[in-house]
Amino acid sequence: MTPIYLQRAALHCALGDDLPSAARALQAGQPPQGEAFVLHEVHESRNYLYAAKTGENLNERLDRLLGETLGTNPQALDDCLLIVASTSLDISELEALTRQQQGFHPEDSTPLDLLANQLRQRWGFASAFTLNTACTSAANGLLYGARLINAGQYARALVLSFETPSAIAMQGFGALMLTSPSGQYRPFHPDRDGLLLGEAYAAVLLGRESGDVPLARLLGGFSACDTSSLTTTREDGSHIHWVMQQALRSADCTAAQIDLVKLHGTATSANDEAEGNGMRLLYGERLPALSLLKPWLGHTLGACGLSESLLLLKALQSGPLPGVNYASQAMLPFSAEPQTLAADSLLLANFFGFGGNNASLILQGCAHGDRA
Amino acid sequence: MTVIAASEVHGLASISDKELKTALSQWLDNPPRRIDRLILQCLLAAAPLKSQLRSNCGLYLASAHPARATMGALLEAVCVQHKQPKPFEFVNSVSNAAGFHIAQQLDIDGPNLFIGAGEQVWGQLQALANLDLQEGLIEQALLLVCDERGDFCVQALLLEGAITGAYANSFAELSVGTEVRRINL
Repeated sequence: MTPIYLQRAALHCALGDDLPSAARALQAGQPPQGEAFVLHEVHESRNYLYAAKTGENLNERLDRLLGETLGTNPQALDDCLLIVASTSLDISELEALTRQQQGFHPEDSTPLDLLANQLRQRWGFASAFTLNTACTSAANGLLYGARLINAGQYARALVLSFETPSAIAMQGFGALMLTSPSGQYRPFHPDRDGLLLGEAYAAVLLGRESGDVPLARLLGGFSACDTSSLTTTREDGSHIHWVMQQALRSADCTAAQIDLVKLHGTATSANDEAEGNGMRLLYGERLPALSLLKPWLGHTLGACGLSESLLLLKALQSGPLPGVNYASQAMLPFSAEPQTLAADSLLLANFFGFGGNNASLILQGCAHGDRA
Repeated sequence: MTVIAASEVHGLASISDKELKTALSQWLDNPPRRIDRLILQCLLAAAPLKSQLRSNCGLYLASAHPARATMGALLEAVCVQHKQPKPFEFVNSVSNAAGFHIAQQLDIDGPNLFIGAGEQVWGQLQALANLDLQEGLIEQALLLVCDERGDFCVQALLLEGAITGAYANSFAELSVGTEVRRINL
């Protein structure tokens, strides 16, 4: 695939209310503390990693995010596609409405493309649609947005991805017994006990040119459906392995050329087992540097494809990535020490989700001021 | 691009999920359990095309709304009754579960995307599918659009070969010259 630049980006997350401060917090090695909530019926406490509370409603938050992404004096967006990649959409507002009126009426249901349409009209995008493929939503938004640019459909694409602190998500993942009772988010630890959910709002502008402050180039990627189970992928890692191979092929590069793999790493038993097996199938015993982002952001579900990619790429531009403090016990060979990699490192980023959705992206970071 | 097959399901709002399951059982030997109305509707439109599908097929699915009954049950349970959601209802709501079940039942293993269905939905689905068709990632593309505003309508098209020229704006335009299998409930 012809490379497409991640020209400009913004992120609001548990680590910080903008991308540079989140990257600095990551490098300082201070994970967010989170706030407790209680699982209904079982009355057990769990942690949630909130973004900074700003008092904004969703529209105000998304408008601010888009403004930060596009910068001052942005050009007209009539050549730009908007892809809204989210599993939560306006669910927090529907939850508030249901609490207020003590019930939900079918006519309260909102169209899936409501937010995308409203944003298209307010900001003047050429076109817009909502994309929901569970936890691969943003990854697919990046991949298909870039490919639509390459196909000449649009000159630019803006991928907007977010997950709000939804009570249904908190209680639902609790009901599936996938949230961590210990509150320790430890992907690939032998005693891992599940995930922490996180709130995030992320956006990126894609285009053929580098722009002034490019973060990276998207070189390729692949996405496909593993039909073996609605909630897990094949534990032998074979589908993940195939998806990673196809992603590498699309970027015309080999596994050996990859400098760093950003693992999906949910810290659930089945996912980490499958991803670990997929990595061993691809690499055998000689793995490249590995990175985990969910302990720093929480699992931001449909937004993780963007929130994790942006955080990683920004951190690579400004210094080392933090070590993993349980590296000696982990199922994969993580570094216990901070890892310094070149800002233009070649990255393989994995994102997997319910519904059999598996996706891998190939990215190459841009050093500060790196222009085409 | 060739449209190989097309189907269209029309149903009244009063049709129950049980009746949808009965209708589906005429097309599938072993239909999935614990699925919601949106999944049933989409499966009903896709299943008649099964004999013409190859495994190297992508699925591009759109719906105007989420499954309202599922959404309502989740909201009532969590926000009013302060209960945990039923796991299958929760999983059906957060994933593109309809796409998963279609892919599983019809044995297709290509890309599987779910988008909100707005005014430009047929053009958007064709644009996404064409990326995969043009690059040879898939041989076929299955496009589905579900619309339930009172009564419901689900339309499905099976395409082969890359699309050249402008994208058609409607199911009617795309299915010209193709026999449409129609199911009325």
